[in-house]
Amino acid sequence: MKEYVLLMFTAALVNNVILGRFLGLCPTMGVTTRLDAAVGMGMATTFVMTVAAIAGWTVNTLLLAPFELGYLRTITFILIIASTVQFTEMVVKKVSPELFKLLGIYLPLITTNCAVLGIALLLVADKMSFIASILFALGSAIGFSLVLVIFAGLRERLALADVPRLFAGPPIAFIVVSLLALAFMGFSGMGAS
Amino acid sequence: MDNYADSTTDFSAPAMVEGIASVVKIDGKTVWLVPEQGSSCGSCASATACGSKGIGTTASRLGNRRFRIDNNANLAVGDRVVFGIRENVLLKASITAYAIPLATLVLAASLAQWQFGSDLITMAATVVGLAIGLGISRLEAGRLHSRGDLAPLFLRRARPGETCSS
Repeated sequence: MKEYVLLMFTAALVNNVILGRFLGLCPTMGVTTRLDAAVGMGMATTFVMTVAAIAGWTVNTLLLAPFELGYLRTITFILIIASTVQFTEMVVKKVSPELFKLLGIYLPLITTNCAVLGIALLLVADKMSFIASILFALGSAIGFSLVLVIFAGLRERLALADVPRLFAGPPIAFIVVSLLALAFMGFSGMGAS
Repeated sequence: MDNYADSTTDFSAPAMVEGIASVVKIDGKTVWLVPEQGSSCGSCASATACGSKGIGTTASRLGNRRFRIDNNANLAVGDRVVFGIRENVLLKASITAYAIPLATLVLAASLAQWQFGSDLITMAATVVGLAIGLGISRLEAGRLHSRGDLAPLFLRRARPGETCSS
């Protein structure tokens, strides 16, 4: 039990997918101009990342590994992620068209989110068990969403700040995210490696 | 002290997420609107290079996100309006669509692993958990819809040249 809690804690904070592994920087810069967009994107990514990790682990364990098709792993996982996003979109649309109208716009953005692919590949490379894979993916996704929300909050305040013209826009955003990465370095050494 | 007060913003004040939409059709007392592309993707510094644009995300899918509101402001086709969704509604919608199925999925998987310790049984429990979560989501979404929580509200006509990010 303790190892699973540590695994999630490590994935969320110590080796944060954005600030520790530098994955998913495109949505980090793209959807954090507004807090509501960051929340929507974070939630959608959490769901897709976890489901894609489950599907990736299953395909790798039952198909790729037994038939020694490891060289097809990356392309297979890309296909799995695209299918997962499509599946999620269809399900949300079916469950509630109103919810889809509110939230559906974030889903296709996830298809090209390298953090989803990165996590699916990492958990296979680390030879995790099924439940560990789920918790690792969930922890990573929670860490991803946490950073999106924190960064969106900072950027909303930054929009009101008097920034020198040279730094206005993406440059100051990158400086802020680098400071955030420094803050997250405070978690280094905690939990499992 | 006064200067300080003037330069701060009350972050608790706006409880509404605003967007801009164009009127595309008038159907009796209701109007159909298509939302304009927001600042999330199109205005990103990497918009020209981002792969998301190529597979048709925001702009190409906006047509599928048509919604209707009551025409109480004598709107005509082509008018641009500012509509709003309550901020907590977006959070509720996200929780309903994603967090509930995810929570039941993880709960079912954890219970199965703890009880049986077999990957195959855990996989089956995961699928069952997801299905149960989607069922609960459907019920909750229906409840939100029946209460009218998910409906966008007409706020005002958009000023000329006004965009989501302006």
